[in-house]
Amino acid sequence: MTSFAPTRASLWSRYRLVAVALIAAVAFPFIVGLLSGQSPAAVLAGEAGNAKFLQGLAIEVFILALYALSYDLVLGVTGLLSFGHAMFFAVGAYASGIMLKSFGWPFWVTFIGVLVAAVVNALLFGLVLPRVKGIAFALVTLGLSSVFFIVVQSSELAKYTGADVGLQGAPVPEWIDTNVHRFRVYLITLAALTIAYLIYRAIVRAPTGAVLLANRENEERALSLGYNTFWFKLFALVVSSLTAGVAGFLWTVQQPIVTPQVAGLGWTVAALLMILIGGVGTLTGAIVGAAVFRLLEYYLERWFGGTAPVLVGASYIAIVLFLPYGIVGTWRARTVNRRQGLDRLRRLFGIRARRSQ
Amino acid sequence: MSTAFLETKHLRREFGALVAVDDVSVQVAEHSLHSIIGPNGAGKTTFFNLLSGTLAPTSGSVFFRGEDITSLPVYRTIHRGIGRSYQITNLFPTLSVFENVRLAVQATGRDNFRFLTPVTKFPDVLQRTSEVLEIVGLTDDAARPAGQLPHGDQRKLELGMILAPDPDVLLLDEPTAGMASNQVPELMELIASIRSQGSKTIVLVEHNMNVVMSVSDRITVMHQGQVLAEGTPGEIADDERVQEAYLGTLYDEEDS
Ligand SMILES: Nc1ncnc2c1ncn2[C@@H]1O[C@H](COP(=O)(O)OP(=O)(O)OP(=O)(O)O)[C@@H](O)[C@H]1O
Ligand SMILES: [Mg+2]
Repeated sequence: MTSFAPTRASLWSRYRLVAVALIAAVAFPFIVGLLSGQSPAAVLAGEAGNAKFLQGLAIEVFILALYALSYDLVLGVTGLLSFGHAMFFAVGAYASGIMLKSFGWPFWVTFIGVLVAAVVNALLFGLVLPRVKGIAFALVTLGLSSVFFIVVQSSELAKYTGADVGLQGAPVPEWIDTNVHRFRVYLITLAALTIAYLIYRAIVRAPTGAVLLANRENEERALSLGYNTFWFKLFALVVSSLTAGVAGFLWTVQQPIVTPQVAGLGWTVAALLMILIGGVGTLTGAIVGAAVFRLLEYYLERWFGGTAPVLVGASYIAIVLFLPYGIVGTWRARTVNRRQGLDRLRRLFGIRARRSQ
Repeated sequence: MSTAFLETKHLRREFGALVAVDDVSVQVAEHSLHSIIGPNGAGKTTFFNLLSGTLAPTSGSVFFRGEDITSLPVYRTIHRGIGRSYQITNLFPTLSVFENVRLAVQATGRDNFRFLTPVTKFPDVLQRTSEVLEIVGLTDDAARPAGQLPHGDQRKLELGMILAPDPDVLLLDEPTAGMASNQVPELMELIASIRSQGSKTIVLVEHNMNVVMSVSDRITVMHQGQVLAEGTPGEIADDERVQEAYLGTLYDEEDS
C-alpha cells in the first residue's frame, strides 16, 4: 500500500518539546535563585527575591497563554472571527470572584461553577452561530461582550462586581495563596497550561480538529462533504470557553483585584496580538506570543517608563511586518525575509518599495 | 407507477427577476449517465445546486429513490448517497492533497467526533484515502498543499473528493473545466471507466460535445433555465432547436 499516512511516532519524539519545556520551566525558579544567591530551599519556601518575583511574572504569562490558546482554537484553527473573546475570560474571572466572595462557595464548588458558566457562555455565542457569518459574527460577539462589559461596571451590581473599581478580596484558600506558596501556584498554572496545550494538540490531530481546519479553509466545501459545520464550531466554542474560563478563574485566584479591563475590547485585542506575534493557528505560537506580549510590556515599561507604550506598539508593528506568520509560523517555514519586511515598512510610510528581485 | 431513481418536478429557482431554473422536470434512470448541456448561463450549475441542497428551490421538488429530498440540507445529501463536484475548483487549499481526500472519506464515517484520537489511528480511512489517490493518479502529490497543485491536478483532486465516500449518484459539474486539452482524455476515460463498472448513476454537465455524445445514455438540453430538449445522443444531435440554441439564433427570435 502506498500511503502518505504519517508513521506512528515514538512516545519520546511526540512529547520531546513538551518534556524539555517542562523541565526548563520547573528548573527556572531555582536557576534564578542560584544566580541571585538564594538557596533552592529558600526558593521553595517562597522567600522574597528575584526568583519569587519572576515566578509571579511567569504565572501571568501562563494564564495569558491559556487565554491566547483558547483564542487560537476559535480564530486560528476554526476560522471563527470573534471580537467578544474577552467575555470568555471575564466570565471565568468574575464568576469565580462572585462565587467565592458574595456566595461564599467553597473553592472546588466555585471551580465547577466556573466550568458550568463557561459552557453556558459558549452556548450563548453558539446561539448566533447559524445566523451570522464572518464579519457579522465578529460584530455580534463584540456586542455580546460589550453588554457584559457594561453590566460588570454598573453601580447596581457593585455589591458583586465592584463596578468600575473591580472585584477585590475574593477569599482564596491558603494552600493556593500566591503570596505564600508562590512555587506551588507556579506549578499549578504551568500544569494547567501544559494540559490544555496537550489536549488542544490532540484535538487538532484528531478527526474533529481536521474538520475545524476544513471549516477554516472552506466552510462551503466542508458542508458539501457532509459535515454539519455548526456542531464543530460549537464544539470549538465550548472547548475554548472552558479554557478561557479556567484562565479567568486562575486570574482571580492569584490577582488581588479583577478589573473590568478583562471584559473590554482591549482584552480581546490582547488575545489577537498574542496569537499574531506567536503565529496564528500554531498553538505553540499562542504560548510564545503570550510570553513576548507580557515580557515586552513589562520590561519596556521598566526600562523606558513613559515612552514604553510607543515602543511596545513599534515592536508589534515590527513583528507583524517582518514575521507575518508570527514567530512560530516563521520558524516553521524557516524563511525570514528581511527585504520584504523592509519593503512593507517603507510602504507603511508611503515610500515606494524598492523592486525586490 | 415506476418511479425514477433521481427526479425533479417543476423545479424553479429565481434570483431576483432572473429565473435561472424554470420548470425543470428531469428523470434520471439508475446506473445511467445522463448529461445536462446548454450554453453559458443556461442554469446547469444552479440546477446542480438545487439537486445537492446547496440552494433551496423557489418552487418544485427533488425526489431520490422515491423520497422527497427537496428540503434536505447540503450536508445531508452525501449521506443519502449523492455526491457533487464543482465547476470552479473548491478545495481546502493549505491542507495536503492527502488531507483533502481524507476529509472526504472521514465525512461519511462515524468518527467525526473522536476528538482526542489522532487521525492516523483510523486505518480504514487512511486505506480508502490512498486507494482514491491511486485512482485519480495523485499518489505522488499526496503531501503537497492542494492549493499548490497545477490546475489539471486540482480537477483530479476535485473528482477524487467526490469518489472518496463512494456515493451512488455523482453530480459532475464540468469536471474538465479549465483543463489543458491534452489532460482531458485521461479524466474522461476515468469517468467512462467508472460508468462502465455499472454501479453508479452519473449526471454530467459538460461543454465538449464529442465527449457528451460518446459517453451519455440520455441528454437534457437546457436553455435560459428551461428544458429545451431531451433524448438519446442521436435524437439530440438531430434536433434543430438544439442546434439553433447553440448558434444563438433562438435568443434573437425570442427577443425581437
Ligand atoms: N447566486 C446567484 N445569484 C444571482 N444570480 C445567479 C446566481 N447563480 C447563478 N446566477 C445566474 O443564473 C444564471 C444561470 O447560471 P448558472 O451558473 O446556473 O449557469 P450554467 O449553465 O452553469 O453556466 P456555465 O456554462 O457558464 O457554467 C446566470 O444568469 C447566472 O448569472
Ligand atoms: Mg455552470
